[in-house]
Amino acid sequence: MIFTSVGELAALVRAREISPVELAEHFLERLERLGPKYNCVVTVMRKHALTQARRAEGEIAAGRYRGPLHGIPYGAKDLLATAGAPTTWGAAPYKAQHFDFDATVIRRLEEAGAVLVAKLAMIELAGGMGYRQPTASFTGPCVNPWDANAWTGGSSSGSGAAVCSGLVPFAIGSETWGSILSPAGYCGLAGLRPTYGRVSRHGAMALCWSLDKLGPLAQTADDCGLVLDAIAGADPNDPTASERTYRYETMDDKRFRFGLIPSVTEGCEEAVAENFTRSLGVLKKIGTIEEVTLPDLPYEQITRTILQVEAVSAFEDLIGSGGIAGLTAPEDRYTPYAREAILAQDYLKAVRLRAVMAREIDRVLRHFDALVAPGRINEAPVLGQEFRSALRATAKDVMGAIGNGAGLPAVCVPNGFGVRGLPTSVQFMGRAWEENTVLAAARAYQSLTDWHTRHPKVD
Amino acid sequence: MSEAAKPEGEAEALFETVRLRYGDRLTPAQLEELRKIVAAQVEAARALRVVALTNADEPMQSFAPYRGDER
Repeated sequence: MIFTSVGELAALVRAREISPVELAEHFLERLERLGPKYNCVVTVMRKHALTQARRAEGEIAAGRYRGPLHGIPYGAKDLLATAGAPTTWGAAPYKAQHFDFDATVIRRLEEAGAVLVAKLAMIELAGGMGYRQPTASFTGPCVNPWDANAWTGGSSSGSGAAVCSGLVPFAIGSETWGSILSPAGYCGLAGLRPTYGRVSRHGAMALCWSLDKLGPLAQTADDCGLVLDAIAGADPNDPTASERTYRYETMDDKRFRFGLIPSVTEGCEEAVAENFTRSLGVLKKIGTIEEVTLPDLPYEQITRTILQVEAVSAFEDLIGSGGIAGLTAPEDRYTPYAREAILAQDYLKAVRLRAVMAREIDRVLRHFDALVAPGRINEAPVLGQEFRSALRATAKDVMGAIGNGAGLPAVCVPNGFGVRGLPTSVQFMGRAWEENTVLAAARAYQSLTDWHTRHPKVD
Repeated sequence: MSEAAKPEGEAEALFETVRLRYGDRLTPAQLEELRKIVAAQVEAARALRVVALTNADEPMQSFAPYRGDER
């Protein structure tokens, strides 16, 4: 059952060839046995999961099948509020924190019949305090199932490790800048960053109100669409959640127009660039590729400034009180103080420029189904070492700066391996609200490649 | 260009506000690190400042008056 896609598991559950209780028991056993090996689990939800699984089993037996997530186990990044279990935000100062309600995403997945089996590890405070190395979590660094010396990426580290090692069929992560695409890319998974506002943030830890998005990590792009279908939609508890209706549609046989920024592989490792070039060859079978020129704007400075200021404001109590001294990463204990020196006028200039950026990128994207680029610039970083990051301006990530700053959807899927044997990835970024288009492109790419069928040895 | 308008002068002035506010919590090594981070922030701010905007370029965020019975 491990590494079986959500879509395939759903068919088995619906045909009653596998029971939801069997599925839950299977993944709970794996979480309890292998979770510590990858350091990716904060709380195993055994009792809660079996209650949900028995309910799903009874409903399906009674002919009340809710849809493709009914009876399917999943894990949630530990920044989503869940009544009855701690919600730690990956940070020591919050490790005993409890909420008496479920985040909207958790509630929507319950309504879809999905079974929450685990709260998953994450970088403390979703990486918003300026972390530089994988150890920045009170649970320690997540271990990449492809290589015990490599990190999973972050900040949805546990979501990446748990899906990659077959401990859950899918997981929910969050992205402010890179936190879904990074672990998905480094672990060889599909990861979907939805359009800002597509998914309610109610009950999710706020890092940056205008940048935070919630989305799935799974074995395939198709699975990401199935999950998004369940979690998208308006929410009176989150005024930024869009009223637009979302239904996952596969768009089979579509021909695509891809845009390519010529300099997009600058700074990438050689294997990443080679694999990307090979991916472009595959994409030419399903569409056209045209080079695009972006207007000259300080994309990374815009998004970074907004992120830094919103994050320091969201945690002003922890920072002002000196509570950040209780964080795990040494750099997280003092870096946020510097952000108080960002001037209000500069922050507002970034927010005004964000509007220009959003208009300009939409002007480019309206001629394309997606921009394509490497998902990450490198293979997964080594544990115990500092890594390069666009958030700290030690790496370039124009796609991430634009995509997150303008709130655009993107999906990444695996496209090969690097010299250390770790996955590399390709990403598809589209216009706002075009999740189905970017998912269709990724799905078409996966129909022509088999990278997503390769898995690490985990038992 | 005035002293404060030079990048290093501005960075030093802004760093000083951080040092005054939080210096008692920080080691000399941490303060030195913060000095570099503030300098990088000033560099980023200057990249933003050089882009010309018009009076009509509003922040990309909306405000709406609130009434609790109309949610």
